[in-house]
Amino acid sequence: MRNLNLSRLSKPIILVAFVVTLAILRPSSFLTISNFANVLWSVSVIGIMVCGTIFVFLLGGIDLSIGTLAGLSAVTVVEVIKNMGATNESVIIGVLAALGVGAAAGVVHGLIITKFDIPAFLVTFASQMVFLGLSMVITNNQIVSAREPVLFTAIGSMKVLGFPLPIYLMLLIAVGSWFVLSKTTFGRGIYAIGGNPVASEISGIQVKRSTVLCYVFSGVTAAIGGIVLAAMTQQGMASTGTGYETQVITAGVIGGVSLLGGVGTVSGCIYGAVLMGLINNALNLLSVPSTQSGLVQGLVIIVAVAFDALQHQDQSRRKARRILGRLGGDKANESPAA
Amino acid sequence: MHNIEKSDERVRSLSRRGLITLAAASAGVLVAGCAQTPRDGGASSAAAPSDPNAASNKKKKNPYKDDIKIAYVAHDLSTPNNQAWLEGIQRECASWSNIDIQSFNGESSAETQTQIMADVINQGFDAVILQCSDGTALAPSVKEAEEKGIPVITLNLDAYTTHSALVMAVDYDAGRMAADKIAESINKKGDVAIIQGVPGLTRTDNLEQGFRDTIGKYPDIKIVDAQSASFEKAKAITVMNSFLQSYPDIKAVFAINDAMAEGAALAAESANKKGQIVIWGADGEKDALAMIESGDMSGTIYTNSWDEGSTAAKIALLMVGSEYSYTVLSETPKVIMEPIVVTAETVSSIAENDRW
Repeated sequence: MRNLNLSRLSKPIILVAFVVTLAILRPSSFLTISNFANVLWSVSVIGIMVCGTIFVFLLGGIDLSIGTLAGLSAVTVVEVIKNMGATNESVIIGVLAALGVGAAAGVVHGLIITKFDIPAFLVTFASQMVFLGLSMVITNNQIVSAREPVLFTAIGSMKVLGFPLPIYLMLLIAVGSWFVLSKTTFGRGIYAIGGNPVASEISGIQVKRSTVLCYVFSGVTAAIGGIVLAAMTQQGMASTGTGYETQVITAGVIGGVSLLGGVGTVSGCIYGAVLMGLINNALNLLSVPSTQSGLVQGLVIIVAVAFDALQHQDQSRRKARRILGRLGGDKANESPAA
Repeated sequence: MHNIEKSDERVRSLSRRGLITLAAASAGVLVAGCAQTPRDGGASSAAAPSDPNAASNKKKKNPYKDDIKIAYVAHDLSTPNNQAWLEGIQRECASWSNIDIQSFNGESSAETQTQIMADVINQGFDAVILQCSDGTALAPSVKEAEEKGIPVITLNLDAYTTHSALVMAVDYDAGRMAADKIAESINKKGDVAIIQGVPGLTRTDNLEQGFRDTIGKYPDIKIVDAQSASFEKAKAITVMNSFLQSYPDIKAVFAINDAMAEGAALAAESANKKGQIVIWGADGEKDALAMIESGDMSGTIYTNSWDEGSTAAKIALLMVGSEYSYTVLSETPKVIMEPIVVTAETVSSIAENDRW
């Protein structure tokens, strides 16, 4: 028993508990492939965005601009499509332009943060407003429709084997992120910078360059999120994506990311996003009235996070006990404070 | 207030004549001859907050010559409705270079709007066109403005204090009309669901109530669920997906605004149920009309928001150019915009340049 690592399993346990409860309460509507497709579809934009923003979280930074940056990217892609007559080429150019906007925003963030040593919170809080303002100016605050061409709307809703395309995009980006973070020197360096930036600098990690790159990842995934949102809703406007930054940060933190940096995994972030989607789905399927849904949502998140944290605490206690046991003496029987 | 039963024609007749009756009511004269709205009759004779015979001390200006500053304080400038109102106001005043329109974004917050109102009053604007995020919270600001001789005209969302005018689209009746139309197209039988906005806003609560009360008159139609999508298209896709999961036999969906109805239609299309589920919205924005044309949506209750903004501007200029003041009013006079029921058959009657 002692070797059973519950803390690694706590997240799957919470998900399974959730699924089983819902399956009992709503057997006919919940346990269907189409419902799972819907849940994943509904969190795909958050999932895509968190896979890039996690790089910033790991640095101990934050990116508050991703919501309105998604909006600016959405506006960019639909404006290009509209002005080029809704051709297939316009979709490709529009998507590339939107990705460029995301990457450029990331470069600017990274450079300002590293060159002027300004807190990321302030920089991205200000740019959040800049992006919203730009979107408003570009669209003159109107909704820009993009109901055509099919090549564009397919990005948001085309189904492959019963699952809409954004779900595959989310998985692809998640795998990419996971690979970079755990299999490359650059990725492992990010964890090191988040843990101790000074030591990382001394040990030869290029902290500034890595930091800029992390904000670029965050910007690009925000742009992809914005493109998917625009394709899904077949329109773009200044308010597209606003508020997503809160959901993305929440998904990350539920998934075990530390906002102080150095701690967090891609799988945890995806778990956080999926759990949020499942809670939402449960509220809908159980017909919880909208006046109560906020209350229920908040409580469920607290319970789930507390359960997860408890497992981690138990694990660190056990680890401490083991170490003390090895050291010998009476201390082994005491329960050290975690 | 909700259970006023009006026929479509009644509402229609009110809207066009509303402006005239309003002018009469505000002046507190000539009302006896104006029989369309009984309430207006009461306005002149009923106990007004102050002595109705007292001379108004409001300074008048010539709205077509003197320098005039009008503030438009929006609930959230990024919504199509708010934009259409602003455009309507600008168009109305475009021919007069002496009139300056400034728009302010309330960012969906009553606190922000209260601050804006304080600035607007201090800067000596001549009139305010306001969409109250919260009628109670904004009431003191509106009262202060009126006391200082700045007429306030509210748009759709009322301020709970007597002021110059409220220009509004029908709410309760829009819900009623959509309910009757939905009942008709599902042969008065089957399950329907509602997609709600943010609870607590008068307009949308009234819309929903109108819908519920009217559906209640059809014994074989059942409202099986009501979920919020916070007025957002993307969220409405998720809510509609869950409706399709939970109620495979669902016949119709009524969304409190068009953006959510459009989202519901996209979800239905993605589930290969395009055209099989009756989907209604309310507002009549451009995209919804296009989706009705393409058969994705079934209908909406259209209001010409450009006209609504322009109507508010006309009233503002009327108030600026006169001694009319809120002190003669016992309650805020209303102008109700004409609601038009739009379906696939009638959508072509909405001209391209009336699509906001």
